[in-house]
Amino acid sequence: MGRKAKDILVKSIIYLATGITLSVLLFIIGFIFVKGIGAINWNFISRDYNEKVFYAFVENSSVPLTIEPKVMENKTTYDKKYETPLEAPVYVENIGAAITKVQYKYYSTDREQFIFSYIEKNSPFQNAVQSNGAPVDIGTDYILQSVNGTDLTGLSTNDVKTLINDQTGQLKLKVISPGGGIKSNIITTLYMILLSLAVALPIGIFGAIYLTEYAKAGKVVNTIRFATECLAGIPSIVFGLFGMAFFVVALNFQISLLSGSLTVAIILLPVIIRSTEEALKTVPMAFRQGSLALGATKLQTIFKVILPCAVPGIATAVLLSVGRVIGESAALLLTAGTVAQIPGTLLSPGSTLTVQAYYVAKEEGNIELACAIGIVIIVIVIILNILSRIASDKLDVFNKK
Amino acid sequence: MDSKLKFNIKDLDLFYGDFQALKNINMKICEKEVTAFIGPSGCGKSTFLRCLNRMNDLIDSVKIKGEIIFDGQDINGDIDVINLRTRVGMVFQSPNPFPMSIYENVAYGPKCQGLKDKTKLDTIVKDSLERAALWDEVKDRLNKSALGLSGGQQQRLCIARTIAMDPEVILMDEPTSALDPIATAKIEDLMQSLKKLYTIIIVTHSMQQAGRISDKTAFFLMGEIVEFDDTHKIFTNPDDKRTEDYITGRFG
Repeated sequence: MGRKAKDILVKSIIYLATGITLSVLLFIIGFIFVKGIGAINWNFISRDYNEKVFYAFVENSSVPLTIEPKVMENKTTYDKKYETPLEAPVYVENIGAAITKVQYKYYSTDREQFIFSYIEKNSPFQNAVQSNGAPVDIGTDYILQSVNGTDLTGLSTNDVKTLINDQTGQLKLKVISPGGGIKSNIITTLYMILLSLAVALPIGIFGAIYLTEYAKAGKVVNTIRFATECLAGIPSIVFGLFGMAFFVVALNFQISLLSGSLTVAIILLPVIIRSTEEALKTVPMAFRQGSLALGATKLQTIFKVILPCAVPGIATAVLLSVGRVIGESAALLLTAGTVAQIPGTLLSPGSTLTVQAYYVAKEEGNIELACAIGIVIIVIVIILNILSRIASDKLDVFNKK
Repeated sequence: MDSKLKFNIKDLDLFYGDFQALKNINMKICEKEVTAFIGPSGCGKSTFLRCLNRMNDLIDSVKIKGEIIFDGQDINGDIDVINLRTRVGMVFQSPNPFPMSIYENVAYGPKCQGLKDKTKLDTIVKDSLERAALWDEVKDRLNKSALGLSGGQQQRLCIARTIAMDPEVILMDEPTSALDPIATAKIEDLMQSLKKLYTIIIVTHSMQQAGRISDKTAFFLMGEIVEFDDTHKIFTNPDDKRTEDYITGRFG
């Protein structure tokens, strides 16, 4: 085989490999987008995952319909994918809202329910309170289950209207706020990022400072370095097991935000130490000498000259860490739990986006929702990447000429 | 003569691990004079210069024997190194301004000593830059990054930064080797004016430079001082054959 033919062969292998990599990447992202994009809307982002049942007390009043009945009937504010209307909407003046009977089909759930398809601006719902007097929000697509203790199952829309019209005084409504959203998961993910970084960043940065500026080259430093590299390579489920045994059980933090973020902080440490160390190493020796020769102490040198130079590198470390937290699922499954709620305290559980994606795909077989979560994760990662580029450009002391 | 003595070095030996880089150095350096160290590469002149403000502390394997008496005190003994370095400043081979503004670069040293008074700092910055003959060039851009200056300006900024500490001695380690001839000439002019105020010790590879600016010259070879005398004598009538060979360009 001639040299030219060989060249062409090798070249084509290189192009082929690049092509395969690119198409696999595009295929995966494309697949996720195609599968999940249908489920993404504002409700998906802004609602909790779980339905919430609550009682609301509403003043019985008389609010006339201010829009054309035809327009009111065409208002289909509910989720048309899972809810099919069974009867035409009916406007109820006593509560200033229109009620529609729909068939709700969502994986294992299949039931008939009444939902609010339209609410007047001065409806008494605006002043709805809970039994403890706290104001409560009732919006469209919320489900009405019972009125003053009478269950609505099996009734027609007009029956419900008559029922409400017959009541006098304050109305006690049993309402369900619709679920299916990932607001709580987004917030839990943000909490997790902030908490784990708050723990891992200072420790990691100080550790890196020790390794580059203080430790004398030798066995100890080599051992620490070797250990960090090994830690970086250990699969996260192992850290998860440790976190479960140590934070959850031994320290009795329970399955909680705290256990989860501490476990993730341990996973982050090697990444932060390595990148900060690399950043510190690239700061020229001449800066250290120059600073010391001016009578600065070692600490002043580190904090006033060396660290500011290393900021872009540290920003990269932060970005990598955030990506790691967002992507982490195995360790969090064991330490932070799968409860889709906003953790009220450090010791309450909550699931991040990735854990939720695992949960809905595995436990509910809802691939569409999992893919929709995947899209949200991809978008967040892209935004973070852009932000960190801007940040490290702005913070780079060598850029300001 | 002794009243003007700044450094008195007695029997100084320095080792990098097992390698002896300086052998039995004895030298007296006087106040408000320019002393030049010349010699071929690797002869120990920079190493010796770095002994004078203990910059060799940064290298782990260095061991030092002998005495360096600075104003009556052995600086290898139990002294405050930070204080020593504020009194003996240093300018390096390649300009190394910090990646901050010109103002911050000059104010860095005093700020590290705890000076916070803005008006005092302003005065120090202006005086130092004026003495370093840089004020007119940078007065309108004090808050711009020092990295935007030319090489020669950066080196003068480094000198200004050192002057801001109001040291007694300024050590210069080949301060013009990274600069073009015009910038070099400016720095040499600057040294002439600075020598009225400070004791200057300079390491240089350029014998012309040593001849132009220094009062005393020491010729180093293989870690030893071959000859140390008035510059005029070294360059016209050296005692040692090796000195003559070096300055006439027969080796080195």
